Amino acid sequence: MPSTVVSLKVNGRAQEFLTRPGTTLLDALRDSVGLTASKKGCAQGTCGTCTVLLDGKPVFACLVPVETVAGRSIETLEGLAAGDRLHPLQESFIEQFATQCGFCTSGMIMAAKGLLARNANPSRADVVRAISGNVCRCTGYESIIDAVMAAAAKMKKSASSRKKAAE
Amino acid sequence: MLRAIDVPQNTAAALTSLARARDALVIGGGTLVMPKVQTGISGLGALVSLAKLKLDRIAVKGDKVTIGAAATLAAVGEERGLAFLHPAIESVGSPTLRNLATIGGNLFTEQPYGDIAVCLLALDAEATVATKRGARKISVAEILKKGVARDAIVTAISFKKPDKGTWFYRKAMRRAANSASIVTIAAHLPLKKGKIAGARVALGGCGAKPVRALKAEAALEGQKIDADSVAKAGALLIKDAAPFTDAYASAWYRTRVLPVHFRRAILGE
Repeated sequence: MPSTVVSLKVNGRAQEFLTRPGTTLLDALRDSVGLTASKKGCAQGTCGTCTVLLDGKPVFACLVPVETVAGRSIETLEGLAAGDRLHPLQESFIEQFATQCGFCTSGMIMAAKGLLARNANPSRADVVRAISGNVCRCTGYESIIDAVMAAAAKMKKSASSRKKAAE
Repeated sequence: MLRAIDVPQNTAAALTSLARARDALVIGGGTLVMPKVQTGISGLGALVSLAKLKLDRIAVKGDKVTIGAAATLAAVGEERGLAFLHPAIESVGSPTLRNLATIGGNLFTEQPYGDIAVCLLALDAEATVATKRGARKISVAEILKKGVARDAIVTAISFKKPDKGTWFYRKAMRRAANSASIVTIAAHLPLKKGKIAGARVALGGCGAKPVRALKAEAALEGQKIDADSVAKAGALLIKDAAPFTDAYASAWYRTRVLPVHFRRAILGE
């Protein structure tokens, strides 16, 4: 059962590791790269706790054989904060009480980040659609949707003030 | 335990890989294969990935549609020329799942999964199937009945776009999204001078694979699309359907709601 060397980018940094066949992207992120924010909830693509961004698009890392994404760019929750400065999504999740046990939170935030990158002005229905692959047992979802909407507003505000400063 | 994951750079290499290993399986998006692999009892030794084969091109020329079998459901959902199929695409899993799941892969699952396969059956779609011995076109209907050879790769799906007002789709689910089907109805009712000519009605949740409701189709032939013809055809759906019991619904329930969702698909609520 020969292993292969896989190189890819995670949160902007080059990563390289040895991997056995059958290793998923999720396994590689958690065990080889040491990034454990992404969770293994079902290993079937039905719970969403493993959601990461692959070239900017949300995918279930538990379903991706890591060899098939060699050379690609992955973003996980660990890449959001800039040192001590939280990402607006992280801030909003705290402010809106959108996280209780925390198990769904990484997947929810990454799905939301994928949404906001394509649609800076989502409706609640857009948010519901974007997180429809993510299960939460604790919050009842409304605070999560509130948090994503609040983050979108924050990000729009800072984008427009950056634009004003540049002009 | 998997022995190898092969990520070949071209289709010829992929076909060679498949031909060589008897316990190898094609993997597209992984949404069907990886859950099997994770249980550890799949018996699979090797996976041959379609990731680098560039089988994801979508071409819409007039009413002729050709979709690479490895095109993701998300990509199909973003193709403006395939807007008629978007409600069906949106009904499958979640946007995150659809970033991985492929249109070709949807042919290789069991009901109550496989709603795009139900659509392709109603569209009389054909698949291009490649083996080391060459490529040929096989109807989706035949693939749904018999599968494909173990060492074959479905490379493309093709069909004709239905005229406006002749395509109907509805998937009944337990939840608003991200759920398998209670029953799925896909109907293509081409119209000649306002009368149905060449009806195709395909059902999901009514057998291990999507089925054509032949008796209902025959009853629709030559009729206008109205409450009367839909009611008469709806009553005949069960004659070609074998709804089953699973965690989502009982066979009794599926049977009971099948004509209701058929009517709602074609006439609205």
